[in-house]
Amino acid sequence: MVVTAKTQDGKEIGKVEKHYHPQATNCRDTKMKYGAQWKVANLRDTSIQPAQPKIESIEFDLPKDVRTVDVTVQLVYEAVKPENNYPIHTITRTVTLDK
Amino acid sequence: MKSMRLLWALLFVALPLASAAAEKAKSIDELAKMYDSSSCKGCHAEMYSQWEKSHHARPLMGVKGGLMLSPLAMKGATAFSPDDPKKATIKNFPCFKCHLPQALISAEDSVAVELTEALLTAADEKASDKAKADAKGKVAKLQITCIVCHNTKAIIHKRELGEPGSNVLYGKKDVAAHPDKTFTSVKKSAIMTDSVFCGQCHGLGPNLEFDQPFQCANLYGSYLHAYIPSGGTQTCQNCHMAKGDHLIAPNFNDDKQTSELLAKALTLDVQTLGYEWLRKAKDYYPKVVVNTKITSSAGHRIPDG
Repeated sequence: MVVTAKTQDGKEIGKVEKHYHPQATNCRDTKMKYGAQWKVANLRDTSIQPAQPKIESIEFDLPKDVRTVDVTVQLVYEAVKPENNYPIHTITRTVTLDK
Repeated sequence: MKSMRLLWALLFVALPLASAAAEKAKSIDELAKMYDSSSCKGCHAEMYSQWEKSHHARPLMGVKGGLMLSPLAMKGATAFSPDDPKKATIKNFPCFKCHLPQALISAEDSVAVELTEALLTAADEKASDKAKADAKGKVAKLQITCIVCHNTKAIIHKRELGEPGSNVLYGKKDVAAHPDKTFTSVKKSAIMTDSVFCGQCHGLGPNLEFDQPFQCANLYGSYLHAYIPSGGTQTCQNCHMAKGDHLIAPNFNDDKQTSELLAKALTLDVQTLGYEWLRKAKDYYPKVVVNTKITSSAGHRIPDG
């Protein structure tokens, strides 16, 4: 999941990525492995679990002269390598500090 | 007399072994032919067409034309890789447990040699395009065909039910007469509609039964230990084979369909808030808060396989 905040003229002022997936090593060192032939067991699992909502609260501190930003949340599935991805949802919200 | 008895005993033991060995495939073509399901297409055209697009039809090919087994063929690349391609054996390919289960019972080591050489040629930058394409085509012949699921993997209670019959296919119901030269009847499988059927290959976690453990899919483990405890009632087949669909989505070669399937399984809710945070007197910081909530209706963790 990629969350970005941009000013209305398109300047990025913040970006946060969250990666949801099981993470495995070969149990002989502490380096994470991809590929079944190298992995032995998971040591961490941040994947999206059945019946357990994945909830995040992300904060962006804005420059003092910025009152309005466009926040975009992209949920993307990556298979094999980051370049091979499948967009799932893209939601954009305009957020302003002015009433 | 004693030597005659010994000869008869040897023949008695050796003949069935020789016969069994003769039944094993010595080449990729022979193994592909042994498990060829193209005759199913005549009567089950729609299912066959769905299967042809599925990952089951290209279990050694990975996603979008990749060759997932290549590292296993390369000397030193993995703990399983043979030093010499000519000396490759079935044991060099532990992935066969799920990606080509028929090889474990029906293939000679010569199939592993041929596969190793094909994988190396396909990955060889110096090889001609034709040689690479031919090698890839050879690997592509190895498939999880109709016979693998509907015969080889159809029985798990072997102590009670025995091995799958050589002329029997297993499905959702009994069919007394099945118009096929080899598979002349269809019997109801005890597990064909249960998740455990898919769980045979779609993973509990580390494969610790090998002399070098490895881990592929965890999916069935997630189903058993996360989805079922959450009160889940659906089977793999309920969601991935609705109305008998033999594509068994996702098909990661189809971007649009995969995105749509994932969007159906995962909902995303986004709430935002803008305000000025007061750090200390008169010291305001403009801040935006983005709250996200992803909810899954899948019967397993995402991602997994």
